[in-house]
Amino acid sequence: MSTPEADHSRDPCPIVILNDFGGAFAMGAIGGCVWHGIKGFRNSPYGERGSGAINAIKARAPVVGGNFGVWGGLFSFYDCAIKGVRKREDAWNAILAGFMVGGSLAIRGGRRHIFNSAVTCACVLGVFEGVGMMFSRYMAWANKPVAMPVPDGPGSPLAA
Amino acid sequence: MWFFGNDTKTENGETLKREQEQVSNEPSKRSEDVSSILNTTDFDPSKLHPLAGLDKDIEYLDLDDEKLNSLEGSSNGILASRGWGDDMCYGAGTVYVLGLGLGGLKGLDEGIKHLPHPKIDPVTSALRPVPFKLKLNTVLNQVTKYGPHAGNNAGVLAIMYNIFDSSLDNIRGKHDDWNSLASGFLSGALFKSTSGLKAISISSTLMTIAAASWCGLKRLISRRGGRNSFGA
Repeated sequence: MSTPEADHSRDPCPIVILNDFGGAFAMGAIGGCVWHGIKGFRNSPYGERGSGAINAIKARAPVVGGNFGVWGGLFSFYDCAIKGVRKREDAWNAILAGFMVGGSLAIRGGRRHIFNSAVTCACVLGVFEGVGMMFSRYMAWANKPVAMPVPDGPGSPLAA
Repeated sequence: MWFFGNDTKTENGETLKREQEQVSNEPSKRSEDVSSILNTTDFDPSKLHPLAGLDKDIEYLDLDDEKLNSLEGSSNGILASRGWGDDMCYGAGTVYVLGLGLGGLKGLDEGIKHLPHPKIDPVTSALRPVPFKLKLNTVLNQVTKYGPHAGNNAGVLAIMYNIFDSSLDNIRGKHDDWNSLASGFLSGALFKSTSGLKAISISSTLMTIAAASWCGLKRLISRRGGRNSFGA
């Protein structure tokens, strides 16, 4: 028996990192199959288009998947860590996690590159969070409860 | 301090504790201490609100029954499954991280084996020591060469395996070891499908063995009672 509000579409924190790794990897790998399949098909000469597409998929789709997977998994890892430290869930978690991910992925490029990449990632995540927040506010405004209409006066049949 | 969350809880806890100590120092009120009330033997949280499910240990690990995978035998004994997408995400994520780690270890080994040798200075004919940054770069290059390669291959294999597995599950209407073995065989064959029959047979054999060991691991875990530890 579980309570109605026990609708947990995501698992609790330490385990969900693996889920996000896999989800992002699968998204990248399958999307990379489509992307590099089309690209390899278009960039191959006539007569070798099928094999060109397959070769491009084999060579590049796992790499796209790996890049997506590392990004998503690191993001989830930092998100969980920040949640654990701050003990609250708000938009700053995602922005800080984006900052850390950007910095971590650029860790071999020197201090300047690390900082630029981290700030870029944080800005992107900030835009995402802002758009999400605006959207949820708009939805709340559009679906706001409507007051019952007030009966007119003594002349209306309900007021009798 | 907005960054570290609000600290009012601990402060409240401390102040509460101090008040409790003051209260418990008075002999007349000792019997009405908070801990003495909470530690009474007939305290049962399920009696407070029988419908709220307060008697459970870790409630957030439960999933709603109607959102779970309804296929026969789909529980792997470790985590409750929400469906094929969840299985695929966990499978691919776990295998990808494992591959990344093992490949990274292999790369670490290779990098340490192939560290740059110190060169002889042509002027003074003394050994010029290799700078630390060069050594670190060599090792890191090897790690980032082997780690993502192994991780990517393992992750792609896991995605293929899970897609075949859940397709077979839905065709046959149940989830058992034969599905796992067959999907291991098929994914191994598809993975090496462009490199000739010999490579296909080798990789599908290896993947079948891997699927068999995963089935054995699942049985071992569910026999030890792991099935009940995460609910559902």
